[in-house]
Amino acid sequence: MSAADLLNLFIAAFLLAGVYAAMSVGMTIIYGVMKIVNLAHAGFLMLGAYFVYEAYDRFQIDPLLGVLLAFPVFFFIGMGVHWLLVRRIPTSDVPTLTSLLLLFGLWLVLQNVGYLVWGNADRAILTPRTLSSIEIGPISFPTVRLAVFGAAVVSLAVLEFVLHRTWFGRSVRALMQNKEGGQIVGVNVQRTAQVAFGVGIAFTGAAGGLLAMLYSFSPDFGAPFLLRAFVIIVLGGLESFAGVAIGAVILALAETFSILALPASYQPAIAFSLLVVALIVLPDGVAGLWNKRRRWV
Amino acid sequence: MEQEAPVGVNEGGDAGKSFLSRFAPAAAPLLAVVALIALPLWNPGPNTVRLLFVTLTLVTTSVAWNLLGGFGGQVSFGFAVFYGLGAYTAALSINGGIPPAVAFAIGAAVAALASLLIGLPTFRLKGPYFAIATIGVSEAVRVVMTNLPWTGGASGYRILEKGRFFQMHHYYTALALAVLAVGISILVRRSKLGLALIAIREDQDAASDLGVNPFTTKLLVHALAAALAGAAGGVYARYAAFIDPEGVFAFRNGVAILLMPIIGGVGTIWGPVIGAFVYGLIHEEVVAYFPQAHLLIFGSLLILIILFEPGGVVGLFNRLMRLFVGGRKS
Repeated sequence: MSAADLLNLFIAAFLLAGVYAAMSVGMTIIYGVMKIVNLAHAGFLMLGAYFVYEAYDRFQIDPLLGVLLAFPVFFFIGMGVHWLLVRRIPTSDVPTLTSLLLLFGLWLVLQNVGYLVWGNADRAILTPRTLSSIEIGPISFPTVRLAVFGAAVVSLAVLEFVLHRTWFGRSVRALMQNKEGGQIVGVNVQRTAQVAFGVGIAFTGAAGGLLAMLYSFSPDFGAPFLLRAFVIIVLGGLESFAGVAIGAVILALAETFSILALPASYQPAIAFSLLVVALIVLPDGVAGLWNKRRRWV
Repeated sequence: MEQEAPVGVNEGGDAGKSFLSRFAPAAAPLLAVVALIALPLWNPGPNTVRLLFVTLTLVTTSVAWNLLGGFGGQVSFGFAVFYGLGAYTAALSINGGIPPAVAFAIGAAVAALASLLIGLPTFRLKGPYFAIATIGVSEAVRVVMTNLPWTGGASGYRILEKGRFFQMHHYYTALALAVLAVGISILVRRSKLGLALIAIREDQDAASDLGVNPFTTKLLVHALAAALAGAAGGVYARYAAFIDPEGVFAFRNGVAILLMPIIGGVGTIWGPVIGAFVYGLIHEEVVAYFPQAHLLIFGSLLILIILFEPGGVVGLFNRLMRLFVGGRKS
């Protein structure tokens, strides 16, 4: 394998990591604030994909603009789901049987509403960008992946700004670090949880739109991404946004380079193997390792 | 979550109770078993027997899921893995000339071994790791089995057995396994193991302070549940004589195995059995009438049960009884 091939693989992995990070961040927010694993993650990714698809197919809205539109739409969907279902179940410091089953039921509902509305045929978003690429010498950048990567990075930057510069962001971080402490200093837990759920779903829906530009999709879309998102947030230590970026890079590198050793059809097994390794070797995630290192110094 | 157990742990201590009142709760299940054993007297059609056969294998998987999920509070979405592994192992063994009963046992053993693969890394940690890992493992195993050449890959695997096909023989095998599963469930619920499991469900830290080892307890019960699910898979595979990864490893099988105990009443002895009968007897009708939307219906049902009656059918029954009896007293 030549150096140019290796470089191409690295670039592919990093472009993939951007989307993976955008896809996982919604799950992290929801887990951090409410200690609920959003098992309906895959359902919202799927809805996001169809939202961008319909916007492009019916109204000729550019998919990138469609992703931007998905943020407010899915924000309100998320708030609605929280109001209708999630706020009714008891919360705890660890995910409960009740919350897992409730969101799992929601996933089944979303997935099958998808089947009713769109049937089970695979769809894809094809724009002039889809098959073009930018060539610089022996290295090629697929245009659509660059665009998706750019959108993912911009949205993560905006989230970073919101979390660190607004009162909502401070409340979210306070609840993630210590729920009781947050309540004592006057954070409205219900309200913050509702908005955080909305933001989490907004990111998930938008990420679904981004993924739809890269892959074909059906109402079953998203199940492999649920596991990937979870592996990423476990690698990142469950409640750290910097950890999400690191986890995304690790998973993307592992998946991209695995094609050198394994047939592509075994790729879905990689995320699971990585999860097992992560749980045995670094149960606190990569960020935990980092914290430990800092404590030693 | 509060759960009421119809079979109390210290029931044996009540010396004052008469013979009748002590064994009255066991009467209904015993009658049901006798009726199922005497099934040929009603001269049922082959389709009725098939439906009951399938339902009885479902009872086994539902009771197995409840051991870990109901008593121990560990949600698994991946029981289809054990079911499928049991099915494939039994199929390979039967084709290798091993007697069916031994083949089912081998299937159970392989499923129990596979349960360690998920349990060892995840049960050491509190939190959602186990539940998510089970989603991952069912995807991963299905992908691997679809691509594995020596079991026929995606095109499936056929079981060749010499001799005539006796449907009742399969039926009684499934019935015996279901009775065994319920028996194990009652024993677990009444033993120290069951108490340890319930303690872990309610508060893992408190349980481990009291000397319960959550890791080994969960690992052991997971293996036990996996073995039962594996045996059920083997019994089904021998009956169907043909299995394929999309059939036995399908994610919807894992969903069904989890739905049944929840419909019936999670964490009870008889809830999973009732849930399996409800699901087994109606789901084919539901699929036939709503081929696109049947999971939509079961998903909505799951949400409604979780929000309004987490105790399932058994919980609803207890609530009605309280309403009825309580109303008369006051």
